[in-house]
Amino acid sequence: MLKARITRALPGFELDVDFKLDHELLAVLGPSGSGKTMTLQCIAGLTKPDEGRIELNGQVLFDSDAGINLPPQRRKVGFVFQNYALFPHMTVTENVAYSIRHLPASEVKEKVARLLNIMNIGPLAERYPKQLSAGQQQRVAIARALAPDPDVLLLDEPFSALDSQLKERLELELLELQREYHGSMLLVTHDLTEGYKLGSQIAIYQAGRIAQCDTRQKVFAQPVNRTVARLTGVRNLMDGTVSRIEPPYVWVRIPAWDVQLKAVMREGSNLAFEQKVVVGIRPEYVDLKQSDGENVFSSRILQAVEGISSITYRFHVDSDQQAKHYINATISKSNAICFKDGQACLLYLPPEHLIVIPE
Amino acid sequence: MTETYLAPLWISLRTVLTATVITFFLGIGAARWMACYSGRLKNVVDGLLILPMVLPPTVVGFGLLLLFGSHGPIGKILLSIGVTVVFSWWATVISAVVMAFPLMYMTARGAFEQVEPNIQDAARTLGASEWRVFWTVTLPLAWPGVAAGTVLALARSLGEFGATLMLAGNIPGRTATIPIAIYFDIQAGENQQALVLVAIVLLISFASLAAIGYWKGRTPRTRGFLIN
Repeated sequence: MLKARITRALPGFELDVDFKLDHELLAVLGPSGSGKTMTLQCIAGLTKPDEGRIELNGQVLFDSDAGINLPPQRRKVGFVFQNYALFPHMTVTENVAYSIRHLPASEVKEKVARLLNIMNIGPLAERYPKQLSAGQQQRVAIARALAPDPDVLLLDEPFSALDSQLKERLELELLELQREYHGSMLLVTHDLTEGYKLGSQIAIYQAGRIAQCDTRQKVFAQPVNRTVARLTGVRNLMDGTVSRIEPPYVWVRIPAWDVQLKAVMREGSNLAFEQKVVVGIRPEYVDLKQSDGENVFSSRILQAVEGISSITYRFHVDSDQQAKHYINATISKSNAICFKDGQACLLYLPPEHLIVIPE
Repeated sequence: MTETYLAPLWISLRTVLTATVITFFLGIGAARWMACYSGRLKNVVDGLLILPMVLPPTVVGFGLLLLFGSHGPIGKILLSIGVTVVFSWWATVISAVVMAFPLMYMTARGAFEQVEPNIQDAARTLGASEWRVFWTVTLPLAWPGVAAGTVLALARSLGEFGATLMLAGNIPGRTATIPIAIYFDIQAGENQQALVLVAIVLLISFASLAAIGYWKGRTPRTRGFLIN
């Protein structure tokens, strides 16, 4: 189990986080420059926090009060760098074996062979990094980091430089690796989809602080505030007031659109009459309808951009007097019934996909 | 007759080899230390280490005389154990080391700083001690730069004149290195002798240039090296 409490001053803000990780993959999501990489560097011992405590499987790696700061070489932390950082003057085998050279030769040989096999790079054993593709180099980097059996594996945006197909393949392989070895992994990424796919737990970083750290279902379906909602892709966020509560439903009045939205209340939410809330819905869940009804309003297309299998819209809700609060929608082509700019459509916001966030 | 060529040749050979070995280790040591040092005095120390390269050799020689002379701080200590540096063969080595050191130091430091920090950090996370990181990662990757620095130091030691003359003097058979022998030969009108020595120095210098060019061409650019 990794327990980390880290405080460190950074240009413009302060990194201040506190979290735990136990035999799972924790995906750290957040905008660039929010302190994600710095967190990894502090855990690995490559940077010293200003204050805090880092403990890994009972061993104290850092404790500012007790004056403990183990150097990276004595921490059992594996690190996979964004640009792989392979040793260019060593072969793949020598790279992977670097951390275990003190073991008997036969053991080293067997271990390296096993790791290369797991990462599907067996035939590349005698190649040099410059003879490998980016995906192959990344595999070597992971194998190398796993060789000394680290207690936790830190990955700093490991797949960001790869093309989408390769990225998907490596993501799946990493997931399998984690499941099979039941290891602890901390993955930093700015790619929402990747974070959701890989992380059973997700931590959302915002300006050096963890805005929310929970299971991925909770973080994405029940963001704890407007910031987390926005950072997890809920692009439609409206201010509102609770106008009626009848479990399992709640009605929220949206002044900007002069409408009342019906939403399904989440388990454990404590909403009160007249409470100020933010209502959000993901662009993928906005729907088009042919007829009027609950949560349906007429709107006009402001912009429609065609994608490969879906269309990205920006709608102006007719009842929005100030013309400031748009709805962003991503609708699959098979469901799209209106396409042209300026065309009038009926929008439907399904109650089960509306997210109600207390302010 | 061959003695007149052999003596300076032999002295220069011993001086250059000894000075280069000393400069090699001193230069790498200083470069390694400075590449990691991040204190406020960094620029000041750097300036001091490079100083002999910017000062006129005779000025450096004068400074060395002050240091190693019988009234100088180091000279006094050495005198008490019966050692005199001024006008001894060791003076040629000291002068050569002081003049060649900045070249070795600067080139080696540049080479070390060019090695990508992430690669060295990776070695640390894999359990390598700072010493092992240096020997197995930093130095091998900086090697062409270090080798070029060594050759530069060698060439500079060979050609050292001004400081050597001040500290070691022109004592045939003891401190008369090739450059000093050339100067005094010309003064004495022995042009023929001087020419032979000049030819020898030119030969070695061109060979050094070729070696430096070769090592520079072999520097693997480790930054951006890894992303195909």
